[in-house]
Amino acid sequence: MRYAGPDPGRPMSSILPRRAVLAGGATLALPAAVRAQGGPQGAGGGSWPTQPIRLVVPFAPGGTTDIVARLLSQGLQERLGQTVIVENRPGAGATVGSLAVAQAAPDGHTLVVSNIASHGIAPTLYRGLRYDAVRDFTHVALVVENPSVFVANPRFPAQTLPEVARLAREDARGIDIASSGSGSSNHLLIVQFGQATGARVNHVPYRGAGPAMTDVIAGVVPMMSDSLPSAAGHLRGGAVRAVAISAATRHPAFPAVPTFREQGVDLVSGSWFGLSGPAGLPPAVTDRLARAVAALLADPAARARLAELGGTPGNLGPQDYAAFVAAEVARWAPVVQASGAQVD
Amino acid sequence: MDTIANLAHGFAVALSFDNLLFALIGALIGTAIGVLPGIGPVATISLLLPITFGQPATTAIIMLAGIYYGAQYGGSTTAILLNLPGEISSVVTTLEGYKMARNGRAGAALATSAIGSFFAGTVATILVAASGPLLTQVALSFGPADYFSLMLLGLIISAVLAQGSVLKSVAMVVLGVALGLVGTDVQTGQQRFTFGIPELSDGIGFVSVAMGMFGIAEIILNLEKPEARSVLKTKVGSLWLTKEEWRRATPAVLRGTVVGSVLGILPGGGAALAAFGAYMMERKVSKGRHMFGQGAIEGVAGPEAANNAAAQTSFIPLLTLGIPANAVMALMVGALIIQGIQPGPRMVEAQPDLFWGLIASMWIGNLMLLVINLPMIGMWVKLLQVPYKFLYPSILVFCCIGVYSLNNNVFDVYMTVLFAIFGYMCNKLKMEPAPLLIGFVLGPMMEEHLRRAMLLSRGDPMVFLERPISASMLAIGAIALGAMMLPNLRKGKEAAMAG
Repeated sequence: MRYAGPDPGRPMSSILPRRAVLAGGATLALPAAVRAQGGPQGAGGGSWPTQPIRLVVPFAPGGTTDIVARLLSQGLQERLGQTVIVENRPGAGATVGSLAVAQAAPDGHTLVVSNIASHGIAPTLYRGLRYDAVRDFTHVALVVENPSVFVANPRFPAQTLPEVARLAREDARGIDIASSGSGSSNHLLIVQFGQATGARVNHVPYRGAGPAMTDVIAGVVPMMSDSLPSAAGHLRGGAVRAVAISAATRHPAFPAVPTFREQGVDLVSGSWFGLSGPAGLPPAVTDRLARAVAALLADPAARARLAELGGTPGNLGPQDYAAFVAAEVARWAPVVQASGAQVD
Repeated sequence: MDTIANLAHGFAVALSFDNLLFALIGALIGTAIGVLPGIGPVATISLLLPITFGQPATTAIIMLAGIYYGAQYGGSTTAILLNLPGEISSVVTTLEGYKMARNGRAGAALATSAIGSFFAGTVATILVAASGPLLTQVALSFGPADYFSLMLLGLIISAVLAQGSVLKSVAMVVLGVALGLVGTDVQTGQQRFTFGIPELSDGIGFVSVAMGMFGIAEIILNLEKPEARSVLKTKVGSLWLTKEEWRRATPAVLRGTVVGSVLGILPGGGAALAAFGAYMMERKVSKGRHMFGQGAIEGVAGPEAANNAAAQTSFIPLLTLGIPANAVMALMVGALIIQGIQPGPRMVEAQPDLFWGLIASMWIGNLMLLVINLPMIGMWVKLLQVPYKFLYPSILVFCCIGVYSLNNNVFDVYMTVLFAIFGYMCNKLKMEPAPLLIGFVLGPMMEEHLRRAMLLSRGDPMVFLERPISASMLAIGAIALGAMMLPNLRKGKEAAMAG
């Protein structure tokens, strides 16, 4: 069982320039979203939601994605006036739950927490994936982005990224860095780090972030690549020390942690997740959902909770989010291939 | 002493009306879901999580913790009465407990389980309070090589102590290991034996295997031979333990408590190892070891004490490191984080109400469970007198609901049916399912730790001998294996098994 669903993200301000570039590409995703109109809900979706909404979380209960999904479901419930039931359907890198939603009726009563694993990495990682991350979904909104952090055991001598890279080049054995799993975005960040610095990195995969963190605290593995929400508590408690954060700017909750870029490694990376439905969601439903998410993310209390958890509220509506997903698929393809992870 | 003052504070928190009420509600819900086959604490807690959003953090955690250990109590009930283990830790309870029930000692088995669990829970609670942080250091000193050697030792001992044909039980262990390896390879992400079925990529579910091979296979067997049904119509027997049973169960409970408290601390699979470990120990050292396989009370008392002790001490890594030892603990972390509390080393100082209140409520919860369960034993036993034409369909329905609720996926139900058929075949071939389950649970963990240890040592196998913990485990394993090879000892073992 994986505790830490989420994976590193793509931070915040870094997205802005790219977002502008991609705005044109968003139209590519539109025809699919429009294709199944005219169903019973098609007449403006005025009656929606008529029954409880199933929000499929494609991760096991208890992980950070699950936690934020539950905050999201609470927020939607209040704003839509209809019960939102969280349904955990974990499996196969979040693709089992995502496939179920891709195949569900596009009536707005079945939604999924789309994420970097199932919608960014899986299209390249899983050769036999039975859905198209862009065309088989109506993407509604980007909800949260989580930067990744490189954390180290407090006794580990290297304090900065250049020191880590130097150590990894000098030691013939290289340096061990743990992650929550092979093919996870945390793993891919390690691959990118090795590529960027020429460091000899020995990736040590675990079944989820929990056991990996245990071994970093115990000193079995000196370093780990983890998503900020999953590492936040251990950083605050001083059990591990942060070496670098993969966002474009420092995180408000951890202002003392320098970014990769500040330390001369040009890497901005992280995990993200958002709200999506099956392809062909009525535009009125998509619109209402997007507005509910936007209202939730504008709520100061919700923003504060997300920041505390180490995340950053997303800020993309339906078109931009669809373009974002397509860009992520393209962006991760070469990194996945370089990592050697490939699932038939 | 600080600990005592802190515990007193904890009891003051836990004894508030709200906290008591929710501890009771949690314990009741936990017992109920434990008794319903297959519906486990993970599904229940994740369903109930939204309810806790509005509660104070301490109350929420007390209720969730109550569900967790309530389910441990309730799970033993179905293991003993119906041969249906809902959790890894109650698999071994079925071995002797179900035999006891068939011998008309269901009441005694249930009472042993409840009292043993309570005693072990009490000791483990004190342990958590007194030395939680210290014990964490012990757990952290286990590296991948040490875990591997510990599990290898477990497999060796389970083979050495196997009942009946050694060859068959070794074959079952190996088959179990092979089944356990289905799914995504942790090191490379490669799929093994999944045949392109996405549901298999995270491996075969434990509950499907356990429920199919034990519970449902048992139902098929019972349907096959009408005469077997009369067993349950015989007198249920005294609900209380005889003097002789007390004398035999007491040391077993003590041993189980020690084994469980120690192994429960290990992150990942501690509680499962604890129950297996205690069972093996009883089988080797208890006075009633010659009765094993025919309903030995030690085989219920030891593992039940161990799994409850482990259930309590598995809170230690959570409370002191913020590291969840199993899926239920991961949900607890989630519940705390939603409340704005980050479990971890600072929780003891930052949230003394929560930390000490939870510890005190563990004991109160255990006491409540004893009070709830002891008078209900008579009622549970009556369940066996429900006509099979009503009982069996209901069990099957609940099994299906329970298995479905694990991942909200029908695939798991199909897997359970498959393993039920397989379990029935194994029974016909006189192959014991327990070694298979041990291999199934330990195999993938062993592989993971073996490969991680080798990855970290850059392929140097000496790491297993250089680390003192690992080396000692391997030495004990070698001695056990050597002892089995020696002909005279072996003869002694066969005599013991036969007798």
